[in-house]
Amino acid sequence: MLGLGIESTAHTFSCAIIEKKRNKGKILSDIRKIYRPANGEGIHPREASRHHIENCSSVLSESLTEAKITIKDLDIISYAAGPGLGPCLRVGAVVARSLASFYKIPIYPVNHAIGHIELGKLLTGASNPLVLLVSGGHTMLLAFLDKQWRVFGETLDITLGQLLDQFGRSLGFASPCGKNIEELASTSSNYVTLPYSVKGNDVSFSGLLSATKSVAKKNKIDACYSLQETAFAMISESVERALSFTRKKELMIVGGVAANKRLSEMLQDVCKRHGCKFFVVPLKYAGDCGSQICWTGILESKVKPGTLLKDTFVTQSWRLDSVVVNY
Amino acid sequence: MKLMKKGAEADIYQMMWQNSKAILKIRKPKNYRNSTLDSKICKQRTIKESQMLSQVKSFGIPTPLVYFVNLKNNSIIMQEIPGKPVHDLSESKIIELSKQIGKLVGMLHQNGVMHGDLTTSNFILFQNTVYVIDFGLSQNTIKSEDHAVDLRLIKEILNSAHAKIMQSAWKNFLLGYKSIVGSASFTKITKLVLDIESRGRYAQVV
Repeated sequence: MLGLGIESTAHTFSCAIIEKKRNKGKILSDIRKIYRPANGEGIHPREASRHHIENCSSVLSESLTEAKITIKDLDIISYAAGPGLGPCLRVGAVVARSLASFYKIPIYPVNHAIGHIELGKLLTGASNPLVLLVSGGHTMLLAFLDKQWRVFGETLDITLGQLLDQFGRSLGFASPCGKNIEELASTSSNYVTLPYSVKGNDVSFSGLLSATKSVAKKNKIDACYSLQETAFAMISESVERALSFTRKKELMIVGGVAANKRLSEMLQDVCKRHGCKFFVVPLKYAGDCGSQICWTGILESKVKPGTLLKDTFVTQSWRLDSVVVNY
Repeated sequence: MKLMKKGAEADIYQMMWQNSKAILKIRKPKNYRNSTLDSKICKQRTIKESQMLSQVKSFGIPTPLVYFVNLKNNSIIMQEIPGKPVHDLSESKIIELSKQIGKLVGMLHQNGVMHGDLTTSNFILFQNTVYVIDFGLSQNTIKSEDHAVDLRLIKEILNSAHAKIMQSAWKNFLLGYKSIVGSASFTKITKLVLDIESRGRYAQVV
C-alpha cells in the first residue's frame, strides 16, 4: 500500500510517501519547504500560507520523483486537518482534495499531534509508552488507554516551543530558536533563580518567560542557561510524576523540542531512575513532516474508508485527546 | 530499612520508629537538575510537607503523624498508613469515595490550603478513613484561582487514569466539595476551572 501525506499546519509544507508492507512502514520520500520569518519575528499566518501555496506543487512533484512513483500509484492521501493555523491548514487540505477528487483516491483527514506520536512509534519501536510531546504547538504528557490518548499532564498556558521561540525572538534570533538558545546556554553554568512552576503533573511557563526576559537584560548567556535548566527540569519532573503515576515502562519523546540534547540528557536520567526505556524520535523526523501525516492516514485506512469530500474539514483547535483510535 | 517505592519526587522506605512502623520519605538530589535549583526545591518541599501534614490535622484532615524531620538530607519520618491508595481500588469504590475526597479537598480550601498534587494516588483508604498525603506542592492560599488549579488537576487525572468512571466520580467529587464550601464559592471556583481549561492549548473555543 502506498500513501501520500501532506503536512501544512504551521511553518512547514511537506509531502511524504510511505509504503506499507504488512505492518511495517517504509518512508520512500519526505520533502519539506520551511517558511522562515524575519529574525526576531514569529510566523505570520498569511505569509506562511502564501509560502505554502508557492511551494506546494514543487514539493509534491519532488516527493513523487524521489519515491519513483506517480500519483496514480497512490492508494490513499492524508492531510493534516488540525490543530494549526487556519490559512496554512487550508493549503494542505486543498492540495489533498484536488488530488483525491481528480484521481479518485480515498482521502483521510489526520490529527497532526497524533501523527507525531504514531510516526514516533513506527521509528523507535516503542510499544506502550508514556509520550512526551513537546513542540511549538504542544507540551503534553500522554498515555494510551481505552482507545484514546489520555492527557496526564500538560502546559496550562504556553508550550515549551513557544517559550523558547518567544524568548529567542526577544534576543533577535530567527525562529525556531531552540538551537541558538542551546548553543548559548552551553557556554554558561551560572544559574540565576527563575520561577519554577509545577502544578501536579502540569506546568506553567508564562511567568518563566517574563522573568527570563528581564534576566536577559543583564546577561543573555546566563539567561539562556537558566531558562533551559528551569524549563527542562520542570518538564522532567512532570514526566517523573506521570511515570510513577501511570507505572509505564517506556518513555517516548516526540515533537520539535525533542531535538534538544540537554532535554534528552535530563530525561534519560529520569528513565534510568525509574528503570524505564527511553525512546527519542530521530532528529530528522522530530519536527513537522509529511511522514507523520502519511503514516497515521495509513493506520486509519485499516479500519475505515476514506472521508467524503464534503466532510474533509480543517480545524484550528483540535485536541488529540478527542480523537478515537480504533486501529 | 526496606525500600517500598521510588516515587516521582522521593524514595519511600519502611522502618521502625520508637517501636511503631514508620515511613521514611527522602528527597534525594536529582542529577538532572541544576544543583542550586535542586537543593532549593528539595528543602522547600520537605519543610512545606512536614508543616502542612501537621497544620491540616488541626481542621480535621486525616494525615500521617510527623515523627521527625531532617533538613540535612531532606527526609521526613512519619506514621505509616497501611491502607491502599484510592488509585488501586475498584471502580465502584473510587466512585463512592469521590464524594469523601471532594469533602476533604473542600475542607482544605476552606481553610486556605491548596494541596497542589491532587491525584488518586495521594489519598489512602485505611479502616474506612481516607487519609491525605504528599503535601510537597501545597501552599497556604485563599485565592480562588489556586483552588481551581487543584480541582482542574484531579479532574484531569479522573479524565485520564479513570476515564471509564470519570462522569460519576467527578459528579460525586463536586457534590462533596460543594457540601463543604457552600454554593457561592462552589459556583465561583467551578467557573474558574472552566476558565483555566479554556486557556489550555487547542481548547474548544465556542
